[in-house]
Amino acid sequence: MHNHERTNSYLGPDGAPYHGGHLLHNLILFGRLCHALGMDITPNRMIEVSRALEFIDVSKKQDVYHTLRTLMVTRKRDLELFDEAFKHFWQKPAEGWTTLDLQSLGEKRHKKKTQFLPPPGASPENEHSPEPKPAADPKLIAVVPTYSQQEALRYKDFAEMTREEMLMAQRIMERLPWSLGRRTVRRMKPGKGATLDMRRALRENMKHSGEIINIPTRVRKIKPRPLVVISDISGSMERYTRMLLHFTFTLANSIYQVEAFVFSTNLSHITRQIERRSIDEALTEVGNSVNSWGGGTNTGASLHDFNYHWGRRVLGRGAVVILITDGWDRGEPDELRKEMARLQRNCYRLIWLNPLLEAPEYEPLTRGAQAMLPFVDDFLPIRNLANLETLVRKLWRVSWRRPERPSYSHLIQTTGMD
Amino acid sequence: MINLSDGGTLCPRLVVKGYNNCMFESVEQIQELLAGQNYVAERSLATAIYLALRLGKPLFLEGEAGVGKTEIAKVLSQSLDTQLIRLQCYEGLDVNSALYEWNYAHQMLHLRLLEASGADRSEMESNLFAPEFLQARPLLQAVEVSANGQTPVLLIDEIDRADEEFEAFLLELLSDFQVTIPELGTLTAKTPPIVIVTSNRTREVHDALKRRCLYYWIEYPTFQKELDIVRTKAPDVEPMLAREITAFIQELRRMELFKRPGVAETLDWTAALVALDQQTLSPDIIADTVGVILKYQDDIESMSPEAIANLLDRARIQADIER
Repeated sequence: MHNHERTNSYLGPDGAPYHGGHLLHNLILFGRLCHALGMDITPNRMIEVSRALEFIDVSKKQDVYHTLRTLMVTRKRDLELFDEAFKHFWQKPAEGWTTLDLQSLGEKRHKKKTQFLPPPGASPENEHSPEPKPAADPKLIAVVPTYSQQEALRYKDFAEMTREEMLMAQRIMERLPWSLGRRTVRRMKPGKGATLDMRRALRENMKHSGEIINIPTRVRKIKPRPLVVISDISGSMERYTRMLLHFTFTLANSIYQVEAFVFSTNLSHITRQIERRSIDEALTEVGNSVNSWGGGTNTGASLHDFNYHWGRRVLGRGAVVILITDGWDRGEPDELRKEMARLQRNCYRLIWLNPLLEAPEYEPLTRGAQAMLPFVDDFLPIRNLANLETLVRKLWRVSWRRPERPSYSHLIQTTGMD
Repeated sequence: MINLSDGGTLCPRLVVKGYNNCMFESVEQIQELLAGQNYVAERSLATAIYLALRLGKPLFLEGEAGVGKTEIAKVLSQSLDTQLIRLQCYEGLDVNSALYEWNYAHQMLHLRLLEASGADRSEMESNLFAPEFLQARPLLQAVEVSANGQTPVLLIDEIDRADEEFEAFLLELLSDFQVTIPELGTLTAKTPPIVIVTSNRTREVHDALKRRCLYYWIEYPTFQKELDIVRTKAPDVEPMLAREITAFIQELRRMELFKRPGVAETLDWTAALVALDQQTLSPDIIADTVGVILKYQDDIESMSPEAIANLLDRARIQADIER
């Protein structure tokens, strides 16, 4: 669209000086491009960029590149995106160059569309429209489930729910009072405690001419714990995936700080996708960004990825981890054991939610389940609404004291790799 | 003694618009400056530092542990011959430990003296909250030094360890470089201090804070850069050994490790091998000293004799290619 403005104002390889307002103009266009690509760019920042360019030799493309990079990127994850945008934007336009090239940059973020498995009983046309809209469905707002309906729904398996029942269940789930255990942090605030608050002591006792009569004290502040949700989206979990993502979305919207991951054969970080205002948007975003839906399960490798690349960043500050999987695993049990042990060591509490747990005739006898079981602090079902209510109560009570953990170190084989 | 404006009226706020009197004219000068202090920096980092100085903005350095983030602040203060003021962050860090604190014990004693001499209340109050009872903590020190016309280097180390409350507090300080002490008045930095903020990314620091800074991600160094670092920091190491060490560490970083070794580990290892009188790397000596470079049991376990031999072979080839 702004092609004609750009044609004679690229950063030339000959280092010719710039005349007129082309550089500034292009800079602004570039800023808008980066903004459109999801980077954190403010108009103020662009003013600083233009100021910064006065200080360097703009004929040196490398220096311009470093300058823009230092000023316009504020997150590691944006570095790569910026590099590509820079490469494409600040180049001599080739013949037949169009703005489409730039648009395609943005499109790289939108990969193939993923269809969620529709609940049984959904009509064929529903299968084509990717998402029903629970909140906007006027019929549903009118339908307030009666007590007995709710009761029946409470114990119904998520996998067997019809579309209407699922929407109703989701609305009930959203209304549950989600909250997570809390912890005392190191920050102090005024309150009844053992630590003397000297600042206030002096102020309040000035009127008594330095005679200490009031003894104000400080106590430690209490804050909610962060939560990490890691859910299995492999083939065996397919019937629950939709509901569980909704569950993750609900948690992300009710709890202070939630990091969300999904895995099948590999791990994906979906916190940014799930942090949307509506569940539909969130699910679409998750669908677009994750490309390992419904595949096999490699829990060990996925947890390895989590432990090595995310653990240090999201498990600080006494985080609670909720791991949702049915325990069917095709990976190496040894690796799984090792990674489970590490995960448990690094978090305050590890809760395993299993949709099959209360299913008739289910016993956690699979190799995967056997490998995981010793390393979880809680093992709970997540099959129907009643289970969720139990979970709510459990999370409220995540106690102040660390759960007791027997040593299972003998279960972990120490073998040399490579 | 601190120059504070008298309480009540606020200082006219100085409009600080960067270092127009900055003594550096080009990126090359910064590179020379750092090289003079035995700090090997690539051009991108030198550009970031140069811009931070020119624009008078804090520099936010992020990267894995042991890539030399803190070192930059030290080197800068040495080469500019200014004071280094360091604030180590931790959870619960509050204004009392970061900015200023009153010396309560002295105030209490003073209060008793005043009382004995029959002073009235207003006199007491103005006497008690006097600059002599003020204990300046790093942030106030930095503003004080700048207010006296010098430009210190303020290092805010490991900001990711501090909590959100402290981050929010920093926002205000980093944009205005002025400190208000209710009892005394406002102190404003004439030229802002050179601020280096570092983070190990154990959590994401809020965008609002990053927006006020220039951002630079420090990568693990390339072979050549790391070799330069080893040579400058340990000049008496055998040239061949230096190559082998560097190549070995570079190979090690390609492995899937829980904690990959940083430059700090490379230098420690070099020192250890020199102390052990090694001329060249051998599988045995690597196995004996692996605790210097790897700090997690799982990582050490993965270094079986075969794995070490394999890595060493690849490292030797690498060291030869780069020659």
